Amino acid sequence: MSGSNVWSRSREKIRLFSELFAQCSGEAAAYGKCVAATTTGRQELKKDMCAKEFEALKTCFTNAGKKRAK
Amino acid sequence: MSSGACVRVLPTSAGWRQVTSSCRRLPAGPSSDPRRGLSSPGSGTVNVFNREMKKRQKNWAASLQDSHQYDYLRDEVSSRVADRIYDVARTFPLALDIGAGKSHIAGHLSKEMVERLFLTDISEASLKQRKLSEIPTHCVLADEEFLPFKENTFDLVVSSLSLHWINDLPGALRQIHQVLKPDGVFIGAMVGGETLYELRCSLQLAETEREGGFSPHISPYTAVTDLGNLLGQAGFSMLTVDVDDVQVHYPGIMEVMTDLQGMGESNCAWNRRPLLHRDTVLAAAALYKGGGGVRNDKHDTSCVTGTKLQQEVVLLDLQCEVTGLEGQSNGHSGHRATQRCTGTKRMELNVHKDVTAFSGFVSLSLGSHSHPR
Repeated sequence: MSGSNVWSRSREKIRLFSELFAQCSGEAAAYGKCVAATTTGRQELKKDMCAKEFEALKTCFTNAGKKRAK
Repeated sequence: MSSGACVRVLPTSAGWRQVTSSCRRLPAGPSSDPRRGLSSPGSGTVNVFNREMKKRQKNWAASLQDSHQYDYLRDEVSSRVADRIYDVARTFPLALDIGAGKSHIAGHLSKEMVERLFLTDISEASLKQRKLSEIPTHCVLADEEFLPFKENTFDLVVSSLSLHWINDLPGALRQIHQVLKPDGVFIGAMVGGETLYELRCSLQLAETEREGGFSPHISPYTAVTDLGNLLGQAGFSMLTVDVDDVQVHYPGIMEVMTDLQGMGESNCAWNRRPLLHRDTVLAAAALYKGGGGVRNDKHDTSCVTGTKLQQEVVLLDLQCEVTGLEGQSNGHSGHRATQRCTGTKRMELNVHKDVTAFSGFVSLSLGSHSHPR
């Protein structure tokens, strides 16, 4: 396959994932801590238990992406 | 589905006939219909993996521009297998390498150990890229589950990191036992146990938190204890099963997954979910980096996450003995060193990949290979 297509564009985005993710380490750590807190002890991990932390992580990530695109 | 492409006709040598060129394969069936047979040994066939898909994945991985970047794990394991072969102080006139890939083992062998080597693999592209070796080699395009060889042909069968994709492992082991001569040796290494523990856990936790449930993304492995039983049932004696830890450190989850894909080790189980939501990937990346949890002794709680990819390599070391045959010298088989029959060796291979080096590599391969599906 040659030229720009869905496959090459998706791969390009995936390549950028690591760079963008590196800029959000604080939010990522907060999310990780939240998940850890819910899984130790007796509770089961349920859907959206850490939704707030995840939203923060996601906004950080999308902002990093927008900044890079500029 | 036609039976696959086949073998070059080989020159006959004294004592054994031409290798027949039949590669029989199970019909693949509709890909949307995962078939599950009974998994009891000897009855029915288990169909866990899509072999056709695995062939396509391996072909794609082998045809990458810099596929040699992903060879580190196979090279390491193959060198360990070659060490084992060396320890069995015999010269094997005829050897078979199952699932050879780019023939990593052959690169470590010398003429004193093996005189002639056959390489089999389901992926033609990998065999074409095989490394040079001083031993004369012949290539056979064959599925590991359907070995197209006559019985009592080989003195040595080796296999490095390919048995974990076989559907019918008991059947394959029995076939290996059949093609081996009496007093032949089978040395193999397969992935098992706690391999990719961090990846599996982080994906599981992320999917549970984001989507409310989880599906298997890592292929199932054979437990070490089961392996001993399987080998015994296949008819091997003098078993040795070791577990070697190969630890590889990665900066993050995307690097692990891309490396696995580059090695041709993408999941091909029928029950895999083809979709991974971007939110789940983001969450899993956060958990993988070490924020996820604390290892707990309880069975049902979370797992440790970190930047380590832990691969357990199970090394099998067996001799096939047919007792009661006249004139068989037991001198060779007796001295097989047994000091490795217990315990776990820990050997660490630290491969640190930093993000910048990694992203440089990926950009080279864009647009130059076909969609792996």
